Amino acid sequence: MDLLSHDILIIGGGLAGLRAALEAKKAGMDVAVLSKVHPLRSHSVAAQGGINAALDNVSAPVHDTWQNHAFDTIKGSDYLADQDAVEVMCREGIERVVEMERWGTLFSRTEDGKIAQRPFGGAGFPRTCYAADRTGHNFLHVLYEQAMGFNIPVYEEWYALSLVVEDGRCLGIIAFHLFDGRMIPIRAKATILSTGGYGRIYLRSTNAIINTGRGCYLAYQAGVPLEDMEFVQFHPTSLYGTNILITEGARGEGGYLINSLGERFMEHYAPKLMELGPRDIVARAIQTEINEGRGFENEYVHLDLRHLGKEKIMDRLPGIRQITIDFAGIDPISKPIPIQPAQHYSMGGIPVNIDGETPFKGLYAAGECSCVSVHGANRLGGNSLLETLVFGARAGKKAAINAKKEEEMKETFSFQHQCDLFQSSLNKILERKGEESCFRLRDEMKALMMDQVGIFRKESDLIAAKEKIKELKDRFKHIGLKRKELAFNNELIQYFELEGMLDLAETIVEGALARKESRGSHYRGDFPERDDEHWLLHTLAHKIPEGTKLEYKEVTITNYPPKARTY
Amino acid sequence: MNSSTLILKIKRYNPEKNPSSWEETFEVEVRKGMNLLETLLRIQDEQDPTLSFRYSCRGAVCGSCGMNVNGEPVLACRTPVERLLGKVVLIEPIPFFPVIRDLIVDMSLFFEHYRQIKPYLHGKPTDSDRESLMTETERKEIDPYIQCILCGICFGACPAFGRDAQFLGPAILAKAYRFFADPRDMRSEEILKEVNNQRGVWGCNTVFQCVKVCPKEVPPTHAIVKMRKKILNHRLASFFSRCSSPHNHPSK
Repeated sequence: MDLLSHDILIIGGGLAGLRAALEAKKAGMDVAVLSKVHPLRSHSVAAQGGINAALDNVSAPVHDTWQNHAFDTIKGSDYLADQDAVEVMCREGIERVVEMERWGTLFSRTEDGKIAQRPFGGAGFPRTCYAADRTGHNFLHVLYEQAMGFNIPVYEEWYALSLVVEDGRCLGIIAFHLFDGRMIPIRAKATILSTGGYGRIYLRSTNAIINTGRGCYLAYQAGVPLEDMEFVQFHPTSLYGTNILITEGARGEGGYLINSLGERFMEHYAPKLMELGPRDIVARAIQTEINEGRGFENEYVHLDLRHLGKEKIMDRLPGIRQITIDFAGIDPISKPIPIQPAQHYSMGGIPVNIDGETPFKGLYAAGECSCVSVHGANRLGGNSLLETLVFGARAGKKAAINAKKEEEMKETFSFQHQCDLFQSSLNKILERKGEESCFRLRDEMKALMMDQVGIFRKESDLIAAKEKIKELKDRFKHIGLKRKELAFNNELIQYFELEGMLDLAETIVEGALARKESRGSHYRGDFPERDDEHWLLHTLAHKIPEGTKLEYKEVTITNYPPKARTY
Repeated sequence: MNSSTLILKIKRYNPEKNPSSWEETFEVEVRKGMNLLETLLRIQDEQDPTLSFRYSCRGAVCGSCGMNVNGEPVLACRTPVERLLGKVVLIEPIPFFPVIRDLIVDMSLFFEHYRQIKPYLHGKPTDSDRESLMTETERKEIDPYIQCILCGICFGACPAFGRDAQFLGPAILAKAYRFFADPRDMRSEEILKEVNNQRGVWGCNTVFQCVKVCPKEVPPTHAIVKMRKKILNHRLASFFSRCSSPHNHPSK
């Protein structure tokens, strides 16, 4: 059996993964990144609006501080974020952003040459640092450049099949080369999961097609519970039709949301912050307008940028303009953009401490697939890029420190055993002559999640969704694959992805059904109020043979006691 | 529903088959607003799971789905089907790269060239815990080149690369200029030296094919021409300084 080996193996080559890789490499470790796509094709590249850090570069009535940033983040989270983690993120974020500039990020600039900052939703200051509206693209290219500078090897277009765990310790993974179909174990003193979110569980999502939550599933399957999965962010403004993201920066620069009556309807929902309310509130407002007949074609409302003028649009929002021209045939200089809410971000994920450590020794997670939790029930725009850098670096550093203490990796039968197990289950899958097909089940799951586990939730829908997921999981066992070869078998990869997504969908449904309150992105029409007395708790979903078992844990409160959340 | 049928003739390749290369025609029902990538994904789902191509963001930012459509290199996600209706559409891999399977090409040479120019900022050492300052004018000089998503489409349109695979290529020379023009990078001379040859700026035919096909409006030819001018200016300056130096600076 071929067995590859590294000190630190990172699954996923987006911002969190590459940042972790750099930190571990600088600590002198043998690091490798494994990704099902070339790292530059990772979804981080699509982030637009910016990254929050209290640089205080833009004049405001009072000075901005990381404590202000922490307060906004915690309030935005509807008090579900762990406040110690938020404080770490907001404090260290400043250094991480400056470092990105030093590494070559082409930030937009203020008149005095500093990093420019713009207002963003739910924030009390213009705190969002940006590189026009292509901040993620800039960052991902800069980190990839750094990774090339350090000669960090990348297993490109390899797929992680499963974690290898022995006595609560992760020893590495079983990987699969997409182009030659070989199954190859990779041993590592530390495995870091940084595989992004699971947006593609939903019919309408801003996420890349590759965002299937693989890392969450790998951890869940291996016995790590998943935290706060019911908290799914819907971005207020996705382009009607393709659901490609239209950045919050468009509203940060002054864009209006307009219904079919020509009203700036946000005045009814967030009279002070208007269009710059936090995402959960703005998304619900838009969907309410559409549901109550004040949308266009019952599908969308308008994001109007025309009053910003050509110059500002070309300078600050060139990417948005390119997207709307390319994908909707609309130039926002002369026409409003049709937008509708779409799934955007997964607040929940693999539970980790502030150093990226999961409950399993040797297993770490960072970025969207993890749940630190810094976003709680609702993430503020501009905080996800920040999370990838701060906690990517922290996970890489901690993994390196712990791996150095490790003795040489001992010989183990676990890899051979797991390969054999996988091979035999694979043989069964390939031999099966079922009538069901992956894509039909996938599409049914997506529609179900969108219709019944979306922005507005209620018990009857969630019970129906729970039944439907059970049905889909049952039908999944009757999928028959058309091709038997392993290399380039796209349907087989779809099969693995769907298996994981159905399990993740189940954790979302169960968590949402159990949580009888409304908090942040989780809105229950039958329980419209937040209930701190019973529900100021993180959900933990454990995989059991019958499905999912829920437990709860306390939220860490430091300096910001929960208060009513008004904007 | 205003649906119509799109007919795609796709160039297939599988080295394990005999013949290894063939053309296959697929018919797909498409709706207004669909793009070519969605159409290919539908074929993969419903008709042939072995049809292989790369994809990720579906929003023209990741650079995965480059392919030749009716002879033009494009991103499939950025190609609306309305433009393709009416006659058979020929889909091929991006030219000049070795094909791995169907529309998937081997881009290792592309990224080898990328690494050769040491594509990371060589900043000045500093003790400052704040960002370096830059003017908007300086930023705007670099900005068009920063937009490159390294999709490789420009290589497929480049006659110089088609002739000589050693030519660094449009995207890579644009990248070199991106660092050359960055006031934070210490290497201006070094970068010019690296591209001052046939593999570099002098290999370009200046036919602007790369500028034309770039899905992100990056102008590699402009970068190449700018670096040529810098090189010529340097030559001229050193020529003059050689002519004049014995008299003006006898001590040096």
